[in-house]
Amino acid sequence: MDDLRKRAKELIDTSAVKVVIGYEQGTGNKTRALFVENSEVADKLIFDSRCVQNLAAYVTKQEVKSKGKMAITATLPVMRAIIQLASEFQVNDDNLIVIGITPESKIIDFKNLEEVETYVHQFQIEIDARNREILDKLDKMTPSERWKFWIDELSPCFKCYACRAACPMCYCSRCTVDFNRPQWIPVSSNELGNLEWHFMRAMHLTGRCVDCDACANACPLAIPINLLTKKMIEDAKSDFGGYQPSLKGENLLSTFKPDDKENFIQ
Amino acid sequence: MAKIGVFICHCGENISATVDCAKVAEVVGKYDGVAISLDYKYMCSDPGQNLIKKAIVEKGLTGVVVASCSPRMHEPTFRKACAEAGLNPYMCEMANLREHCSWVHEKGEATTQKAIDLVRTIVEKVKHNQSLDAIKVPVTKTALVIGGGIAGIQASLDIANSGHKVILIEKDPSIGGHMSQLSETFPTLDCSQCILTPRMVEVAQHPNITLYTYAELESIDGFIGNFKVKIRKKAKSIDEKICTGCGLCTTKCPNKKNPSEFNEGLGNRTAIYVPFPQAVPNKPVIDKALCTYYTKGKCKICEKFCPAHAIRFDQEDEIIEVPVGAIVLATGFAVKKTDFFPEYGYGRHPDIITGLQFERLASASGPTLGEIRRPSDGKIPETIVFVACAGSRDEAKGIPYCSKICCMYTAKHAMLYQHKVHGGKSYVFYMDIRAGGKMYDEFVRRAIEEDGVNYIRGRVSRVYEKNGKLIVKGADTLLGAMPVEIEADMVVLATAGVANEGAEELAQKLHVSYDPYHFFAEAHPKLKPVETNTAGIFLAGACQAPRDIPESVAMASGAAAKVAGLFSQDELTREPLIAVVNRQAPPVFSSCVGCFLCMSACPYHAIEKEEIKNRQGEVLKTVAKVNPGLCQGCGTCVAFCRTKSIDIQGYTHEEVYSEVMALLND
Amino acid sequence: MAEFEPKIVAFVCNWCTYAGADLTGTSRIKYASNVRIVRFPCTGRIDYMLLLKAFDEGADGIIVSGCHPNDCHYTSGNFHARRRWMAFRSLCDFIGIDTRRIKFSWVSAAEGAKWADIVNTTVASVRELGPYDEYKKVAKKPVKEESHG
Repeated sequence: MDDLRKRAKELIDTSAVKVVIGYEQGTGNKTRALFVENSEVADKLIFDSRCVQNLAAYVTKQEVKSKGKMAITATLPVMRAIIQLASEFQVNDDNLIVIGITPESKIIDFKNLEEVETYVHQFQIEIDARNREILDKLDKMTPSERWKFWIDELSPCFKCYACRAACPMCYCSRCTVDFNRPQWIPVSSNELGNLEWHFMRAMHLTGRCVDCDACANACPLAIPINLLTKKMIEDAKSDFGGYQPSLKGENLLSTFKPDDKENFIQ
Repeated sequence: MAKIGVFICHCGENISATVDCAKVAEVVGKYDGVAISLDYKYMCSDPGQNLIKKAIVEKGLTGVVVASCSPRMHEPTFRKACAEAGLNPYMCEMANLREHCSWVHEKGEATTQKAIDLVRTIVEKVKHNQSLDAIKVPVTKTALVIGGGIAGIQASLDIANSGHKVILIEKDPSIGGHMSQLSETFPTLDCSQCILTPRMVEVAQHPNITLYTYAELESIDGFIGNFKVKIRKKAKSIDEKICTGCGLCTTKCPNKKNPSEFNEGLGNRTAIYVPFPQAVPNKPVIDKALCTYYTKGKCKICEKFCPAHAIRFDQEDEIIEVPVGAIVLATGFAVKKTDFFPEYGYGRHPDIITGLQFERLASASGPTLGEIRRPSDGKIPETIVFVACAGSRDEAKGIPYCSKICCMYTAKHAMLYQHKVHGGKSYVFYMDIRAGGKMYDEFVRRAIEEDGVNYIRGRVSRVYEKNGKLIVKGADTLLGAMPVEIEADMVVLATAGVANEGAEELAQKLHVSYDPYHFFAEAHPKLKPVETNTAGIFLAGACQAPRDIPESVAMASGAAAKVAGLFSQDELTREPLIAVVNRQAPPVFSSCVGCFLCMSACPYHAIEKEEIKNRQGEVLKTVAKVNPGLCQGCGTCVAFCRTKSIDIQGYTHEEVYSEVMALLND
Repeated sequence: MAEFEPKIVAFVCNWCTYAGADLTGTSRIKYASNVRIVRFPCTGRIDYMLLLKAFDEGADGIIVSGCHPNDCHYTSGNFHARRRWMAFRSLCDFIGIDTRRIKFSWVSAAEGAKWADIVNTTVASVRELGPYDEYKKVAKKPVKEESHG
């Protein structure tokens, strides 16, 4: 933790960045995001296993970006999100420094995003055992049973969009759900509107989701919406050989292979 | 408020036989926004069109739906009629009642109901249609031709003769390409140089053609009609304006033992050289990689002897930028060398040569002055074996395709050998004889029947040396795969034609697609054989696939015709059915969030980054922008855009959404 | 009781399947009248949300069809579409949308007979599956109560 604070102070004091994004102690046993803009505040920085919020969601926020160059405390999912965001031209070496944190809470000083990418590519995106079990269970159901499962799970959603706010990939200035010419998705939080909203969100995250679970963690009703994106990660693996965020600026769905599977096409 | 006119066509009885047209007109007439709805025997006839025009004027229609045949048939007809009556043509749409309804369903209520549904759907679409104007793009009437082989030469001459400027660039010191290396040409056996050199000279002297040899494409920017290309003129180390082409330097250069590219390594050349006597331009260049002065810092003998004082050792590459409106790619192909074949000794034996090397031996201007002599000892081979399909049609070698020209030139080679070496024995191992083409099969038959070439159907498994002879082991599949062994003095491999080295890189530079073998891809295999998927860039000759001379020339003329067509007008007019990225008032500017994933999805590289700046020049936002010159209107970007910031004119979100909504709800 | 007549919406590209369906017409090949075609420039343009909208509006089955691989008028629109369909089908299946009701096909401009066949087989299989009440209930579309006996 001292290393982290030292690094943050150094970055602020040398004016290398204007703001360091990290975690601080929140209310109760929770942690929350901290924006370090002067070196005294840096002493509030903490890092431990409770720090699961994906801070990458902040680097695209205008309020944070407008402060100037940023540094971000980044665990693996955050780093993945950063690389994905870089591939989508949202961040670059000129406006962001990544302070990596290993699972052992060690600091990694990355010179640039290319180094972050190299680090990230050592690890495949893997669905955890608990969720895999749930996915397996759902897979064994009939489509009608799954339909019922999802209608039931999604019906309490009242479209607070906490999932969207927490997701580092949901940085669009205008979400399709807010698009009204035409009104693609019913605004009201009825069964159909909820279904279509979460369906569309999962499609938009296909090939982009970094599996950080920020959406599900943010949901006040604990709806397991991350299962949708997890399923898409699983299927991307079996259908397209999986994906990794990459600085190349291509996406699973913006590219193709001439010999992609087409056994479902008559 | 929309005022839509709906015009139901009977198409004689083609529609009315199964659809109750009057009922369709009546039901649709009651829909919101429909100002007039009527049916008529032939809408496409003059009186029919006049009905529409009259209604547009009298009722002040804002949109027109013609329910008749397929829009693929008469959409232009009705759009033109609407335009003539003062309605924007893109406010006119068609409902397909004939091909998609009356002709494919039985007479009855369900069919009439379907017709009503189809018309209603299009009415809803038209309510959301927007007036569109044709896109105009200015055209720079200069063409760039890349590659100075026969295809590039032909394309340049054809474009230049149609009155347009041409810039022809060639990477070698002379134009002429592979054709200049050939001895005689099939199926007429006329001398290649004799028919080619006049064309080369014509290129050099044509007032509309600017020729840059020893030059390559550096970079390209822009789009159809408006390309900006940078050309790297490699330093020739001579002042071309002063050099008289006397050739004294090439005789004095002490660095003489360099394999000649023109002679396929069967002869030597000096470091300062003209590739061949008929070269255009006939002025030498210094090969910096070989020249003793450049490599060792001492020599300059050529400079001492040059009577015109034209040698310039300090010359550097020059990069020039030129605007062009169209590009013809004619970069040709390469052939596999003998070192590609382990079964034929990896190119270690001097008397196992390629077909192209044989051309040099058979050529009167070649290293043996046209006599067929073995490279090893200069002896005239008494027995010669030709191996067709050396590498081609061989999955294991990564070349599954047919190189196409080999059957013909192998027959020619065998024939030339028989003509030049009386009493010589020649054998051709082949898989199939592919001699499709005018007078082609007759030519092969002549080789077999008149010149006595022995054709053996089968592959050669191995060639090796034994007691000064080349032992060719093969099988005759027409005799039940009976083993065949021939003691030969020389073996000629008809090696596969492959894409040029660097073709992939060039294609990427130009945003032109290429196939798995790095040949450039045509826009459509049947109907657009000389176009590429990048508008304004065309293909000629063997850069697209192995081609013989007549095909290359035909393609070149085809590409030239495309260029001339493009240059026939000052402005390009294009259908406005293209994608656009929305623009909004500051501070939003556009709902585009600038992820640019659309860029990688666009097949035409039509999406660019646009920086929106304030008055101080600071970048406020970077958003996507569609280049109207490049966009072809497929809409792949539209379906991909998460923020729905791109839309496609003619098939907008609102238009197609309202269609779907109207389809099922009456 | 009259046989159930499913409502089928077809999303097709202009250059291959739309033209193929035109050929079905010029060849006078008859097929079921349950299908309604919506024309797009390319399968690459077909927004998957439109497919959901069709179900919202009461479609019982959907056909999506375009040019065969390598035949795309725009070179690669169908390849992009194919990937998107893969992902879309996966998600549909996972969320419980009956993928048997969505037929994907390649129909070229020369395959008039194939188009008729695609429509007929889709109509037959969706008729077998019955009305898509599951979706209609969620979309608050009227659902016909089955009359037994």
